[in-house]
Amino acid sequence: MNCLLCNARLPIRLTLADLVMLRPLPRLTLCNRCRANFARIDPAYACPGCGRPQKGTRLCAECVAWQQHCGWHLSHQALYTYNNAMKEYMHRYKFAGDYRLRLVFQAELQARVRELAADVVVPIPVTETTMAIRGFNQVLGLLGETSVAPVLRHRARDKLAQSHKTRKERLRTPQPFELVDPTMVRGKRVLLVDDIYTTGRTLYHAADLIKGAQCRELVSLSLAR
Amino acid sequence: MELHGQRVHCLRCGQETDWRLAALPNGEYYCPRCINLGRVATLNKFYHVPEPNQFTVHQPVLTWSGQLSPLQEDAATTVDQGLAAHRHQLLWAVTGAGKTEMMFHGIAHALERGERLAVASPRVDVCLELYPRLVAAFQNTIMVLLHGRQELPYRYAQLTVCTTHQLLRFYHAFDNLIIDEVDSFPFAANDALLFASQQAVKTDGGCLYLTATPGPTLMRRVRRGELAVSYLPLRYHGHLLPRIRLQLAPGWRRGVQCGHLPTSLVARLRRSLTAGYRFLLFLPHVADLGTIEPLLRLALPDHNFTTVHAADPQRLTKVQAMRDGQYDFLVTTTIMERGVTFPEIDVFVLGADDPVFSSSALVQIAGRAGRSVSRPTGTVYFWIASQCRRVRSAVRQVDFMNRKGRALQK
Repeated sequence: MNCLLCNARLPIRLTLADLVMLRPLPRLTLCNRCRANFARIDPAYACPGCGRPQKGTRLCAECVAWQQHCGWHLSHQALYTYNNAMKEYMHRYKFAGDYRLRLVFQAELQARVRELAADVVVPIPVTETTMAIRGFNQVLGLLGETSVAPVLRHRARDKLAQSHKTRKERLRTPQPFELVDPTMVRGKRVLLVDDIYTTGRTLYHAADLIKGAQCRELVSLSLAR
Repeated sequence: MELHGQRVHCLRCGQETDWRLAALPNGEYYCPRCINLGRVATLNKFYHVPEPNQFTVHQPVLTWSGQLSPLQEDAATTVDQGLAAHRHQLLWAVTGAGKTEMMFHGIAHALERGERLAVASPRVDVCLELYPRLVAAFQNTIMVLLHGRQELPYRYAQLTVCTTHQLLRFYHAFDNLIIDEVDSFPFAANDALLFASQQAVKTDGGCLYLTATPGPTLMRRVRRGELAVSYLPLRYHGHLLPRIRLQLAPGWRRGVQCGHLPTSLVARLRRSLTAGYRFLLFLPHVADLGTIEPLLRLALPDHNFTTVHAADPQRLTKVQAMRDGQYDFLVTTTIMERGVTFPEIDVFVLGADDPVFSSSALVQIAGRAGRSVSRPTGTVYFWIASQCRRVRSAVRQVDFMNRKGRALQK
């Protein structure tokens, strides 16, 4: 195996336990040097609303603003900070379309999804146009074999990507989603999954619809924050 | 993209990938090999137009007024004829023969015929160095420079200067393709680039390879008669290449760890310095620079030198300082292998049998010596721990060219 990001050879180091236990070998995806460029977020030192890394576990100013605006706030977790390495990774994975790179964080994201023990996992969808050009939904790629419920879909065939807007424009985006089948989430513990949490607008729109469908509980997760 | 059984074949780069690595959802595929040039997937279709050659030729095409030596003249004529006949040919010219200038007449005639040409090289620094020289030589021709970090947009041009990777973007576009330093990394070991160079020329187009050190693949094509070969065994100043001389230094690495350099090395360095010549000392690894530098400071206390490696932030300033004569010598790794010229230097390699030095790299390194008219000779010494094939082949290549050169000198 080679490192998916820098193509350096990865050494396979077998431990005695690997040999004795006859378990599947851990799939190596990154070399240590590339791995060190990403910064993991410890949920014990993050805002409980949006998952932003900070000193304590008090609600951050942005989440307080959401609380005032909507009357409730998300309880979101993120695995990594959105630093330069993550930006570069997202560029290569999403925009250049290198679908192999989903394997870099797939295992970690799946593990966190299992930890969060939701009844229904709802990925944020992509538009039909994106699907036709990119050929994949980046969130589904990261989730891998996790079983998901396609509860949401885009209202329009295409829209201007959030990443092309300024913060102000992003926050003013109208509701882009609609519910496919509200019964799928009624009375359930729902986990919403996206790739990046930037302003929170997208996830709040999605959460709004799912809360409207009377779910029991709603948590959300993203790869980067 | 095409699916052949278990493997996916990319129509752009010609490489095959296991379908599991190349799969997108919904039964689509993409090519992970050439994704740096923008993704090719089963979602895309390729269109191409036959090359129309819509160029207006502005006279004079050649705005270069240099003189070629009689030997260069001969080689230039062969190049010219080869380009005119769209032949596939190899020009094997020693390092420092003046290859670029020899192409000028051939290129000028081809441009006058209204042909579309590309000059490509595997190395971006070679392209960057070549482009201004070509611009100066063909001021009335529209040219474009393409490489991975180019920010200017693409435009249709009669003469394209690009890295060999960029050739993947062209399909049957050029009447003649010239590839400089064809033996250098990454071209030599990369099937996609060979495929690119074949796809980029028209079906009746020609290809000219320039090199000082043809590798086994090129030589095989020469032997099969697929490539016509012409030699230029003498440098532009008419002298032979400096011979590579070998010194055995078994266990030098252990010696260095105990704190002493090979005696023959120190003696040789001192002799060069007292004779008033500067030199380059090549070491196999960046880590060796750190161990050997203090030993050299002890052994040669009153001489001014420094070390340079690829990731050195001051690489360019140090090289410039060496050029300006501020240092007596430079200790370096393979990064100085080609493209750099210091006048009147000697060249030494410690550990030439290390696998990082390919035989073509060794020939290139040896070719750093004796490049100026003021001192057309120079000493080249390799210290080796044991005999090896790469070193012997480098020595043989230099001797082979010198034999041909001597025959010409008579």
